[in-house]
Amino acid sequence: MKDFEALKSIWHNQVALPKVSHEDVLEKVNKTRTGLASRLLLEMLGMILATAFLIYVWIEMPFRMWTTHLAMAVFLGCCVYYIIAQIANYLKITYDSLLDKPEEYILYLKKYKHDRFIFNTRKYRIYSIFVTAGFMLYFVEIAFLAMLWVTIAGIVFTFAWIIVWYFVLMPIYIKKEESKLEDMIENLERLEMQFADSDFE
Amino acid sequence: MKITGLSKEALFKEIFQANSKKIYHLCYGYTGDDDTANDLMQETFMKVWQNLDKFRNQALISTWIYRIAVNTCLSYLRVEKRQPKDELTDNIIETKGEEISDKNEQVASLYKCIAQLEENERIIITMVLDEVPYTEIATISGISEGNLRVKIHRIKQKLTELYNKNERF
Repeated sequence: MKDFEALKSIWHNQVALPKVSHEDVLEKVNKTRTGLASRLLLEMLGMILATAFLIYVWIEMPFRMWTTHLAMAVFLGCCVYYIIAQIANYLKITYDSLLDKPEEYILYLKKYKHDRFIFNTRKYRIYSIFVTAGFMLYFVEIAFLAMLWVTIAGIVFTFAWIIVWYFVLMPIYIKKEESKLEDMIENLERLEMQFADSDFE
Repeated sequence: MKITGLSKEALFKEIFQANSKKIYHLCYGYTGDDDTANDLMQETFMKVWQNLDKFRNQALISTWIYRIAVNTCLSYLRVEKRQPKDELTDNIIETKGEEISDKNEQVASLYKCIAQLEENERIIITMVLDEVPYTEIATISGISEGNLRVKIHRIKQKLTELYNKNERF
């Protein structure tokens, strides 16, 4: 039979030591910072190129129908939204909340997870609907100018994609995200209860 | 600890050397896994480095580091789909059980018992075992000192019972 003091002495005899040095930490800090910056830069560069290409096409191609101009505006709007959303995401990575009390920090985590869920599901759905709407508007002019089979192929492909995406892929994705979020919230609520400073009976 | 008048890197080194072992124990007690504990400790000190300027001239830097470590552990468990407690326990037996000495066996057994406690109990008891003052533990965990004392008393009893039960088998 051992008492708590004996357990304390076992604890102080442990030889397990951290394998990480302060140099490792600083090296990781530099790598992470560069990693994040390059990822952001790459994504931004890709989107800026896509935006520039869209503007070029819009100016150079003699589009005649208002639907095509609207499609171009929708595509550009989507690009700008994507860039802004990415920047906002990176700016959200702040560490101030880490100094909160665990109970408050858990609340922050719950909110953060919920916001990410909204971003990954509802906002992504709206974004995809706009891209699809852009393609549909674009095909109106194609239908007048291109050969019949090209128009039909384009329309079939677009609608097939909408059906597969909206009725198959998106529900699977949302269901998966929802179950992940439910698990997280459930665990966070359990933790919140543990840290609640309630009086003991 | 004097934290003024040093370069940021020298200050960080000093802070790291003074606190890393205890933070590692906290992470190990919480996760029951050596590699994960190292990752979480590294993550904690990365955040310490990134926020060091905000904390210059504060009296108890260890309280601040512990708070970051606790919150890092909590968020780790939320992001990753964790293993259930039984698997955690097996993991400790596997990684620590192979080691030869009796002392290590006792430490492994102690970690195994800690893994059976609730998350906040694991956090509190590792700080108690590392002799962090009760006032500091209360500040870190956001629990009033009166409630904390009652809580610590219960956790100590629970851990001792678990350990003795474990030792009998």
